Amino acid sequence: MAGSRLERFGTVFTRVRDLIRSGVIKPKEKPLWYDVYKTFPPKRAPLHVKPVTSPSAKKQEIVPEIFYSEDKIRTGFYEQYGRGLRALDLSKSNFVSTCQRFVDKYRELKSHGMLDKSSLFEETGKALLKEGIILRRRGAPPVLAESRDPVLDLKLIDMLAEQQSAGTDTTKTTEDKNS
Amino acid sequence: MLPAVSACLLGFRYSRAATVASPCGGHHYVTAPSAKPPQPQAGDVTEKILNQPLEKADFFRVAELFSLKDLFDARVHLGHKKGCRHRLMEPYLYGCRLDHDIINLDQTMEHLQLALNFTAHIAYRGGIILFVSRRRQFGHLVETTAKDCGEYAHTRYWQGGLLTNANIQYGPGVRLPDLIIFLSTLNNVFQQHVGIRDAAKMNIPTVGVVDSNCNPSLVTYPVPGNDDTPAAVELYCRLFKMTINRAKDRRKQMELIHGLSAPTSQIS
Repeated sequence: MAGSRLERFGTVFTRVRDLIRSGVIKPKEKPLWYDVYKTFPPKRAPLHVKPVTSPSAKKQEIVPEIFYSEDKIRTGFYEQYGRGLRALDLSKSNFVSTCQRFVDKYRELKSHGMLDKSSLFEETGKALLKEGIILRRRGAPPVLAESRDPVLDLKLIDMLAEQQSAGTDTTKTTEDKNS
Repeated sequence: MLPAVSACLLGFRYSRAATVASPCGGHHYVTAPSAKPPQPQAGDVTEKILNQPLEKADFFRVAELFSLKDLFDARVHLGHKKGCRHRLMEPYLYGCRLDHDIINLDQTMEHLQLALNFTAHIAYRGGIILFVSRRRQFGHLVETTAKDCGEYAHTRYWQGGLLTNANIQYGPGVRLPDLIIFLSTLNNVFQQHVGIRDAAKMNIPTVGVVDSNCNPSLVTYPVPGNDDTPAAVELYCRLFKMTINRAKDRRKQMELIHGLSAPTSQIS
């Protein structure tokens, strides 16, 4: 069957249409998809686009960045509390993470009337602690740290130095005694 | 060994006798009543069967097979990172969230509806559909999908002359596919699949799922969407299977209604 193998000129449809018009393809032999394409054409004609070889002047960003107003709250949360103790379960679509609960609580408190940012942060932290979620501050020791035994803090070097100084004193006293 | 395997999988049908009736003089014998109906009437009926679906916008009601929520749950909107973006995909992207491209699902809905509608019409007219995907993760899924529809799949190495040299590779008078569906338009080295260019050369329309790192320019009916997540690919396979089966069942129904199939099952 006659065809045109020029994929870079026109679309599949235009080539077949022109072949039918010129009589190379008989109306009886027209392809199955021709009428369907004519009735339901695609949104964009599938023309071949030449690849741009030379990087011309910088084109503007057409794809916008996606940011939400809650992102500010989220950055504050992650700066203060690190990655959070509970892992995110992405397989569930209705999963609410620790950060998201923080954000929801923050907005709730804000809607109640509190305006100061730092106080809002603290209040949200306290509110979440009340609900049972433990938040660990980044860099700080864990909230429930038991008091260490003071004996453990003693260093061996200091102890030896003490003993040595005590030893020299006794030898001095004995020498004094002897001499 | 590989070409033989792919040939088996392909199973190209040799050109069958033309189903579209060519006008031939129906001889009406006045003297003896003939048992067979006169030929031109059958031709007209076939014409009517073929043209009737084209009158309605969504004859096969493919728009009810999927919703935006289904697409979102199957993670169809997730594209690749900003660095992998193809410049021709920029119109189809909704935005970029922390360097991850997000595909615009409103556009995907429209494109998918067009693509499924086209597939349904081709299947209704008895066209050969070839599923192509070079992703080894989904090779088996694509092959089973094709088997369930009664169509064909090619998920192995694409030999250079498969479409362009078919008459020599498969013998003279091979019938080529009427539609090629790409579940992923890239091959294993992240270049555009040769099949897209070959189909354009052989004047075969294509339907393809284009991710944010693919070139959608030569695909006749591109569907911007994720082609890496198993959930998304399963969704596409399910949708194509359902549309093709629906279209084929509808064809059988129409033929029965117009009395073209076996006389025993005639309903009138």
